[in-house]
Amino acid sequence: MDLTLLWQGLLVTLQLSLLSIVLSLVIGTVIGVMRVAPLAPVAVFAEGYITFFRNIPLLIVLFFILNGLPASPIGLRLSFFETAVAGLSVYTAAYVAEVVRAGLQSLSRGQLEAARSLGMSWVTAMRFVLLPQTFAAIIPPLGSVFIALTKNTSLASAIAVPELLYQSRVVEARTFNPNILLIAGAMYLAITIPAGAAVNLLESRMSLARTRR
Amino acid sequence: MSIVVEGAPLRSAPPPVRGLRLSSRQQSLIGVATILILMPLVFRMDRDKFAPFTELAIWRFLGEGVVLVLLVSTAAILMSLPLAVGLALGRLSTRAAIRLPSIGFIEAIRAIPLLLLIFYVFLSMPRDVQTFIGRETLALTLALMVYTAAINAETLRAGILALDRGQMEAARSLGLTHWAALRYVVLPQALRNTLPPLLAQFTTLVKDTSLGLAISMVELLQRGVIIYQGFRNPMESLYVVGLLYFAVNFILEQASLATQRGGSARPQ
Repeated sequence: MDLTLLWQGLLVTLQLSLLSIVLSLVIGTVIGVMRVAPLAPVAVFAEGYITFFRNIPLLIVLFFILNGLPASPIGLRLSFFETAVAGLSVYTAAYVAEVVRAGLQSLSRGQLEAARSLGMSWVTAMRFVLLPQTFAAIIPPLGSVFIALTKNTSLASAIAVPELLYQSRVVEARTFNPNILLIAGAMYLAITIPAGAAVNLLESRMSLARTRR
Repeated sequence: MSIVVEGAPLRSAPPPVRGLRLSSRQQSLIGVATILILMPLVFRMDRDKFAPFTELAIWRFLGEGVVLVLLVSTAAILMSLPLAVGLALGRLSTRAAIRLPSIGFIEAIRAIPLLLLIFYVFLSMPRDVQTFIGRETLALTLALMVYTAAINAETLRAGILALDRGQMEAARSLGLTHWAALRYVVLPQALRNTLPPLLAQFTTLVKDTSLGLAISMVELLQRGVIIYQGFRNPMESLYVVGLLYFAVNFILEQASLATQRGGSARPQ
């Protein structure tokens, strides 16, 4: 069986995942910080963002960006691949923001108060005191969000991005053999299972470190 | 410990924004309303293009989609429950011949994308299968059932493990067999304790029914696509359909949070 297409698809899936992980981390962190901001309108907007994107299907977000960005005032014409990255990032950012929010709020209030009383602005305190402490603790939950993101890249096949699932369907359409999907599944497994094991390892290391402290 | 962790479907109620005398639900709604008001402005939606949504026939068409979404997700979650219990108990079994296949099944299903599973079920289903709901709907429901079972099996297993060992020991020492103890003592408690995350899975299911679009099932999102292909108003139609998904899910999430508050008091 010719697996060339599948390997090409796997490469696209990996690119899609990595780009979306970086972008959603950036957007999600900003939204998460906004959620705990002392300015009520900012915090309520961030809360709305998180609630909204957690409750609508990713496919709608992808279709919306596909149809909407060219017509918007920005007039941005994105390729299918870029649309998928944008959709995945905007959607996953809501989940990232929730993790960041929970992490920030689990820190002692004294951290913020001490930083502020040293003369740091709220933003500086976030950037240099609170966020660095949070990120160490939230790597495991972020890891599971990003594993879910990697699985979600398969939805890009619905907007004709030639990623792994798309390519396996191309092969299926030629050979009428649905078992090609099992091979594609094994490739997904080869990404998600080690990633999940790494997340678990980190998680147990961290809870160990916490109990020792 | 499960290998692949899900993206935290259950959201515990976040603490409300400081300095605002509003509940966190009210704040969520105000925030979402802000986004919903901003979106038509940013994406230059046309007021005239919302015109189709003043017609009853369109709403009947969409309403059927909502009902279909709810039916498919309810069927999937109900059918998945026995399978989930079986898988959870299988994974906790002391016999490797039962435990290892259960672990393999759960982890494999959780590690692959749901859309892949849906395609696999759809494509490998016999062409001449006779159903009154259509091949697409059947394939989607079956795939969702298997997927939900694998995820809920993990939730249930955690629920069973969280129970005091004494529950099982006390039941056994009262003369119950291992199975009777599971059936009458351990499982009822585990099920009740894990009800909130099990319900939260329903929200995920509602969103995931939109994947039926990929196998050309005429569910809610597909109906939106049909409408915008007819009226050439993609943004406006997607906006309305997105709003419907949000409304259904938000109500479900609130219900799930309510059980979380009310139902998790466990006697210990």
